[in-house]
Amino acid sequence: MRWWIAGVAAVALAAALPLFLDPLGYAIRVLTLALLFAALGQAWNIVGGLANQISLGHAAFFGLGAYTSTLLLIHFSVSPWLGMLAGAAIAAVAAYLLSFPTMRLRGHYFALATLAFSEVLRIIAISWSGVTGGPVGLSVPFAMEDSFALLQFRSTLPYYYIILGALVLISCVFLVIRHSALGYRLRAVKENVEAAEVIGVDTTRVKIVAAVISAALTAILGTLYAQFNYFFDPDAVFGIVPVSIRAAIVTILGGAGTVLGPIVGAFFIIPVEELANSYLSSQMAGLSQLAFGLVLIAVILVQPRGILVLIRDGVARFRRGDGA
Amino acid sequence: MNGPLLEIRGISKRFGGLQALEDLSFDVSKGEIVGLIGPNGAGKSTLFNTLVGLHKPTAGAVRLEGKDVTGLRPHRIAKRGMTKTFQNVALFAETSVLDNVLIGALLRESVADARATARTCLERVGLADVAEKAASDLSFPERARVEVARGLATRPKVLLLDEVMAALNRVEMEEIMVLIRSLREDGLTVIVVEHHMHAIMSLCERIVVLNFGRKIAEGSPQEISRNQEVVRAYLGREYA
Repeated sequence: MRWWIAGVAAVALAAALPLFLDPLGYAIRVLTLALLFAALGQAWNIVGGLANQISLGHAAFFGLGAYTSTLLLIHFSVSPWLGMLAGAAIAAVAAYLLSFPTMRLRGHYFALATLAFSEVLRIIAISWSGVTGGPVGLSVPFAMEDSFALLQFRSTLPYYYIILGALVLISCVFLVIRHSALGYRLRAVKENVEAAEVIGVDTTRVKIVAAVISAALTAILGTLYAQFNYFFDPDAVFGIVPVSIRAAIVTILGGAGTVLGPIVGAFFIIPVEELANSYLSSQMAGLSQLAFGLVLIAVILVQPRGILVLIRDGVARFRRGDGA
Repeated sequence: MNGPLLEIRGISKRFGGLQALEDLSFDVSKGEIVGLIGPNGAGKSTLFNTLVGLHKPTAGAVRLEGKDVTGLRPHRIAKRGMTKTFQNVALFAETSVLDNVLIGALLRESVADARATARTCLERVGLADVAEKAASDLSFPERARVEVARGLATRPKVLLLDEVMAALNRVEMEEIMVLIRSLREDGLTVIVVEHHMHAIMSLCERIVVLNFGRKIAEGSPQEISRNQEVVRAYLGREYA
């Protein structure tokens, strides 16, 4: 019950926050991005956190979402809301098919296989320029005025709320799964596949179901990203570093397997990245990335289980009175 | 049902050049407690792993309630009613004791019902008071009992216990034996792999002896303790 209240309070706070910000400003843009990557991390968390299946290929589903809805919009004037569902369906099918070759893989082999899959899609997107626009990418057709049906707004504010809504939705999906039979079974898969099988867990099916749900949700975020950004190219949506690694890192850094993990991680990483970019990128090439990398390494060295655990330990020490 | 509950027919298992099991056959009737003994490396755990589907036999067949279950995946065999405990204990270490057992109960029940079943199973093995602890925080003998509870939670017809008495003191061993006998009274069929001969002799109606993957003897505890080959291979003079 207390958690419910805390959750509702946090959402209310997030909803009220833009009232204090310039709706066309930089800060709200950074916050919207943080929400987007928190949501992406949360979708990744269903597989990576609950089952410890570390995917480095979630860009595949993100990109499928972005390309599907945008191509449907460009060629058939389909509303991105419908395109979003189409993208989710395609990503779900892709995840289902991908699960056959990757099913028996664990650990880094699984990570590499998923990474290779997303790279294949990125290369297809670059080469198949007749459809995808090739390396130049795609622009979302510009609507003359704000339109909810076309998911297009001049101000950042509506995107902020829509993406906040997506984060809340995906977090709820994560929580429902975690406390359902599926969540317990994923936990069993994470800790001991053989033991799970012997006591009746269909580990193959459990992994597929989780992967399909995670992929569909990731594709929805791909559509939202495309609409928010107006423009994207293969590297932006199928990229390993901008999408796949980020999804994994915000979650792992925050605390994998917990609902707050990706949120804490994203609201730490995205602002740090932006700060590093705005203050250091003019100094020397690569300096901002270096600073960003050093911050990540520092956090992981101090507490490999993530910022949440770091905070929890800190609070516990403070309460005992030997911290301060 | 007429025939035996579990039929093991000519099971062989080869790992590369190693013949782990060779043409092994025996039956187990409903409500029996059967002991499986033999020196280390005789193939006892391999047989258990083959029965529950972790290994596919190279030859032979396993029938449960008259239905062929050979080569089915472990979760299918669990659903048909046969599961095992792990000799080296394979609990979900970072999960609570209760949730470990709950996951077993999910095989046939919803989460809410599974939680109630898990509590009952933990009471049964005498671990109700550590239900909320992480499995990794328990002692080895306690963890072995959680394994038993988790197996029970799947509501098996046949339960394979792989050295659940290892590292137990006499009192604890006596408790487990009382538990195993009570399972039989509930209609469960149990196969026990154990090195404690006193426990095996007093618990089991029938004992199957393995050596180098072959069955070298089968019979009542009295017959087994008089069998010269068994004494030579495994029991030693104490039982001669």
